[in-house]
Amino acid sequence: MTWQQVVDDFKTWARVNSPWVVHFNTGSCNGCDIEILATLTPRYDLERFGVKLEGSPRHGDVLICTGPVTLQARDRLLRVYEQMPEPKFVIAVGSCAISGGVFQGCYNIIGHVDEVLPVDVYIPGCPPRPEAIIDGVVKLLGHLKDPAPQANIEEAN
Amino acid sequence: MDTIRDLVTLFFFPGGLFVLALGMSYEWVDRKLMARVQNRVGPRWFQPFADIAKLLTKEEVIPLDGNGLLFLGLPIVALAGALTSALYVPVAGWHPAYSFQGDLIVALYLLSLLTLCTGLAGANTSDHFSLVGATRTLTQLFSYEAPFLLAMLGPAVMAHTWQINEIIADADGRWMLFLQPIGFIVALIGLLGKLEMSPFNAPEAETEIVAGALTEYSGRGLALFRLGRHVELVIGLTMVAAFYMGGVNGLPMFVLKTLILLLGLVGIQSLVARLRIDQTVGLWWRWGSLLVLAQWLVLVVWEGVQA
Ligand code: SF4
Repeated sequence: MTWQQVVDDFKTWARVNSPWVVHFNTGSCNGCDIEILATLTPRYDLERFGVKLEGSPRHGDVLICTGPVTLQARDRLLRVYEQMPEPKFVIAVGSCAISGGVFQGCYNIIGHVDEVLPVDVYIPGCPPRPEAIIDGVVKLLGHLKDPAPQANIEEAN
Repeated sequence: MDTIRDLVTLFFFPGGLFVLALGMSYEWVDRKLMARVQNRVGPRWFQPFADIAKLLTKEEVIPLDGNGLLFLGLPIVALAGALTSALYVPVAGWHPAYSFQGDLIVALYLLSLLTLCTGLAGANTSDHFSLVGATRTLTQLFSYEAPFLLAMLGPAVMAHTWQINEIIADADGRWMLFLQPIGFIVALIGLLGKLEMSPFNAPEAETEIVAGALTEYSGRGLALFRLGRHVELVIGLTMVAAFYMGGVNGLPMFVLKTLILLLGLVGIQSLVARLRIDQTVGLWWRWGSLLVLAQWLVLVVWEGVQA
């Protein structure tokens, strides 16, 4: 193990153990947002994994987007994303964030989050349960530890 | 030989790395106890270490408006102030590394440097949330600072000295907490104000003003400010325990007494909701200062009668 490797491993360890999230509603019906808030309540206690909800994008590592991206939200979403310091990750929560969902084809939406930002993890559901959101976050952390692609269809079935 | 001893004192024990590690451990205890009170499992033991390490390795965004040099320098000054004051207090039950007549005042003001730097850091950007946070930070500083100082001076008056280790030697085994109950309560609650913990966390009320004065800080700057806060927690606890709870002789006594104090702080934090900034100021000036002044008067008169 070289010195560089040790430093990199340490950085990854710190990153994996302290993901601070910023939550942004890109045009969701609020269903997904309520579920995210439920995830952050004491019942599910995400502080176990070091997850913390931060108000300022400057403090965040993970941007959680909910809902389809509306024309209005697009600029704000990009701005919030740009304000976050590197390294940053994006999680798309809910069917709408993944494909536009029930809002697909609406006159006022651009489409899914993927069309605006690079998304790292998709969490399907309308809205996804807190357990699913936690699973998504854990998958993201696992991916940080081991960057090989993890899409495993057999496992999903 | 002396140089080596000084360097070790400054960088490893009891200053420098040791205080940083101790500060992060106490932060963990605080968060864990808080979580247990809320019926949660709470963070793992290395959580504050991971948070700080992550922040240190993150990109630091420097806003264009505002003075870049100040933006970078303020966190360093803040942490340096907190670390320096650690040299004058009996951290971990050890003797203060350095001491001179009047170091009590110096240590207390070095601690306030952190708050002052936070306020300046907030005022140094054109961000509205930072500005409001900075105003609140400084307003709060002016409200708790005087009563807290008076509360810490109570034991000093009894010991007839302004030197921390002499006060501690005088207070050793004497539970000032019973002799000066008002001073103790004011010191304890002043500590909450100093650390911007609930109910005095209006300056960083996340539901109103995002993250207060530190909204624009990311990466290293935020890490240094947080470290400063952790160190301040330890030093504040050490001082109150040493002055009011019969001294902190040796490591076991130190850990026991500071943890009991911390438990009290967590209790207050989880029981009381956030005060508005005007309520904070009102509380301190209407009750805190007056009560502690009354106690001071009694003390001074008593000392006069005795002499
Ligand atoms: S996925 Fe369902 S709950 Fe979430 S925003 Fe879309 S419609 Fe609402």
